[in-house]
Amino acid sequence: MVILQATKIYKTYGNKFNKQEVLSALDLEVNKGEFVSIMGASGSGKTTLLNVLSSIDRVSQGTISIEGQNINQMKEKQMAEFRKRHLGFIFQDYNLLDTLTVKENILLPLSVQKVAKKRANEKFHAVAEDLGIADIADKYPNEISGGQKQRTSAARAFIHDPSIIFADEPTGALDSKAASDLLNKLSELNTKRNASIVMVTHDPLAASFSERVVFIKDGQIYTQLYKGDQTRNEFFNDIIKTQGVLGGVQHDA
Amino acid sequence: MTLNQLIFRNIKKNLKHYYVYIFALVFSVGLYFSFVTLQFDPALDDATGGVKGAAAIKSGSILLIVIVSIFLLYANNLFIKRRSKEIGLFQLIGMTKGTVFRILSVENFVLYIGSLLVGIFLGFSMSRLLMIILFKVTGVTDVATLRFSLEAMLQTIVVFAVIYVLILIMNALFIKRQSILSLFSVTTVAQQRVQKVTTFQAFIGVVGILLISFGYYLSTRLFSGAILGEYLFLTMVVILASVVIGTYLFYKGSVSFIFNLIRKRKGGYLNVNDVLSLSSIMFRMKSNSFLLMIITTLSALSIALLSLSYISYYSVEKTVERTIPTDFTIPNTERAAEFTQALEKENVAYTETATDLLTSPVDLSQVLSILGEVPGDQSYSNTRMIVMSEKTVKKVDVEENEVLFINSDSVMEKFMKFQADKQVIFQGEEHSYDLTFKGVENLVILPTRITYAFPVAVVDDQVFQRMLVDKDSSFTSEFTEYHGVNINNKNQLEIANAIFNELEINVWAGHESKYEERINQKQSVGITMFIVGFLGLAFLITSGCILYFKQMDESEDEKSNYTILRKLGFTQSDLLKGIQKKQLFNFGIPLVVGLLHSYFAVKSGWFLFGTEMLTPMIIVMFIYTALYSIFGLLSVINYKRVIKDSL
Repeated sequence: MVILQATKIYKTYGNKFNKQEVLSALDLEVNKGEFVSIMGASGSGKTTLLNVLSSIDRVSQGTISIEGQNINQMKEKQMAEFRKRHLGFIFQDYNLLDTLTVKENILLPLSVQKVAKKRANEKFHAVAEDLGIADIADKYPNEISGGQKQRTSAARAFIHDPSIIFADEPTGALDSKAASDLLNKLSELNTKRNASIVMVTHDPLAASFSERVVFIKDGQIYTQLYKGDQTRNEFFNDIIKTQGVLGGVQHDA
Repeated sequence: MTLNQLIFRNIKKNLKHYYVYIFALVFSVGLYFSFVTLQFDPALDDATGGVKGAAAIKSGSILLIVIVSIFLLYANNLFIKRRSKEIGLFQLIGMTKGTVFRILSVENFVLYIGSLLVGIFLGFSMSRLLMIILFKVTGVTDVATLRFSLEAMLQTIVVFAVIYVLILIMNALFIKRQSILSLFSVTTVAQQRVQKVTTFQAFIGVVGILLISFGYYLSTRLFSGAILGEYLFLTMVVILASVVIGTYLFYKGSVSFIFNLIRKRKGGYLNVNDVLSLSSIMFRMKSNSFLLMIITTLSALSIALLSLSYISYYSVEKTVERTIPTDFTIPNTERAAEFTQALEKENVAYTETATDLLTSPVDLSQVLSILGEVPGDQSYSNTRMIVMSEKTVKKVDVEENEVLFINSDSVMEKFMKFQADKQVIFQGEEHSYDLTFKGVENLVILPTRITYAFPVAVVDDQVFQRMLVDKDSSFTSEFTEYHGVNINNKNQLEIANAIFNELEINVWAGHESKYEERINQKQSVGITMFIVGFLGLAFLITSGCILYFKQMDESEDEKSNYTILRKLGFTQSDLLKGIQKKQLFNFGIPLVVGLLHSYFAVKSGWFLFGTEMLTPMIIVMFIYTALYSIFGLLSVINYKRVIKDSL
């Protein structure tokens, strides 16, 4: 089942005289429960793509629908309502509120939806167990490590069972150990909760945890790789090769 | 690009960004200039009666300089903090600290000149309005004219040049202390302060509240007994210290402690209002506690002073009525006759009351106790008192062996307590008169100048006649007669007053004109109220601005939080509701605490200033709150913009 469908989307910046086309006629589909990575050199438009897909930015042309709802036509209020029910976010710089404890941060999406307190607590315990952060529930973000922060951020993205989770370079600020920890958890939760994940990354290792990698170049899809029955290592090598062809940064793995 | 071009571009860009700083500058200059213009205005002498007014305004202007320079230094502090990245960048590309300092100084100089010009222009147009207000409160009927004062301009320029130098020093220190690295991270430092609420903090919080309550308690006891006399000053210092320190601890501990309790009860499940208000204030208030303490204390001070000066202005009529009961007081028969004849010649109808004043030695030791002294103190066994017959007083009825007191002064009442049904002993030449004291009647017959603000005894007429005959001839007093003249038609008061002055009756001691006194009182109280009001307003606006700037700064710091929250699906109006609640606390807590402080301060000593406390105090508090709320509203509008821009 297709959960996210983007058809012929364009995104341009600047004015009439000085137009900069960042996305041009891009098509993309994401199925339910799929873990997709988007890769590309810097300036290729991958973050712009994530922003328009996740309703933070609007496309100049084309349609994006999530679960059959066209998000381009929504008003600000509807958009907010949609975001709080159907979307989850994980960011490179964690985006946790410094003044709230880990638990309070994670429970935020539920409080937006006004879920009953008892139900919220159950959900918190479940997701905190899954991500191994139950013991730091009462700590503030500045008291925990980067890996723990990102897992807190992930817990917040998963807690309200969104249809789709958008991750923008989630491992960008983590060391390799914390990064693979997080990615393992993400793919675990991806299968367990059947939540789709769209992740933007420039790290082939991170991308190798997903099922499909979409390469973007000059605002268009250059190629796609499917993991299929490959092992993660084989898939990783495939990704590196493609990246080489694409002319991006060479990886010496 | 040359350095000059760089400076020019910077100013152009910053004008848009730092309108707050420019506003602060223009506002300060305008305020100061208009105030100083008053000082040099010759019309001021009419309103204030000469040297006194100018001196009062001069001392006011010194206070104003202090307020304004603190305000500008604070604004500059925010200004330079926001530009720390730019300063870092300049150094990164190879400029020396000296060059950066020069750029900043020239920029500041241009801003200063511009603001001075605009500010002086604004102040100039404002000064006429101020003059009109001043004339209004002092009851002077002059026409306020617009007059540009060169002296005022010079003084303003000198003062702001000094402040400019201060700011240069501050900037130099800032640039000198910072390394390139720290310049880039200045704004993020504030966010690292999040800490857990500890039991120590809770303790501090409780101590804070206790100290404030202790100060309040002492203030209610200030003029009521045990602590008076030589301890009065000490007690005042203790009250001030315990309230100020208590306020500091209150912000340091209590607020976060209370908020933390509320938060704990929610068990981690916070709604958007809580996120934006509770958690944010909890941490900010602690780090801002010093600033908040200063703002609270000074607002309390200005509200209290405003209230007190308004109380005295408000009670001028009543006070004059109490101190001078009749239109003219003439404690001399010849001069009274001279005056009434002149009145008749001018066809001014009047009524005259005349009475001889009998001053008698008296033993009050049984009935009188003075606050702070041991009851039954022997020093009141031999004092003196004016005695009147019930016939002259008319409105009271006294039995033969009784005595009543009248003419009690409201301030004296606070210090002197009379005990009824005890004995008062008057001493004649041969006999003594042992009378039972029946209490104090709220009645004013004689002017305060004649009674020395001491009560007057009223006795039965027969007793009075006997005492008159038995008068101690060795005993002399300043006034032996009293003539009170009332003008029947109050429209003729001015004529009567002119006659009173023409005959030079007014030069004698104790000879008073109520009309003249009222004008004098109105002028002196009016000018005090005007200056206190002006300074209070200046202070209100500066503290409001400081809170507003602080909130602006905070809104920039928290912008990323709004981004997160909006991504999570909170709408702009959700966030705005939370912000409104937050601002209610941010502006409300210092205001409420300040109002409470000033309430207790006013309550402890208002009777020294006037006859009516509640109405004038509530009016002052209401106006203060209304003006103060404007800044809260402005900050909400600013937040609205930040929230809108955050996604």
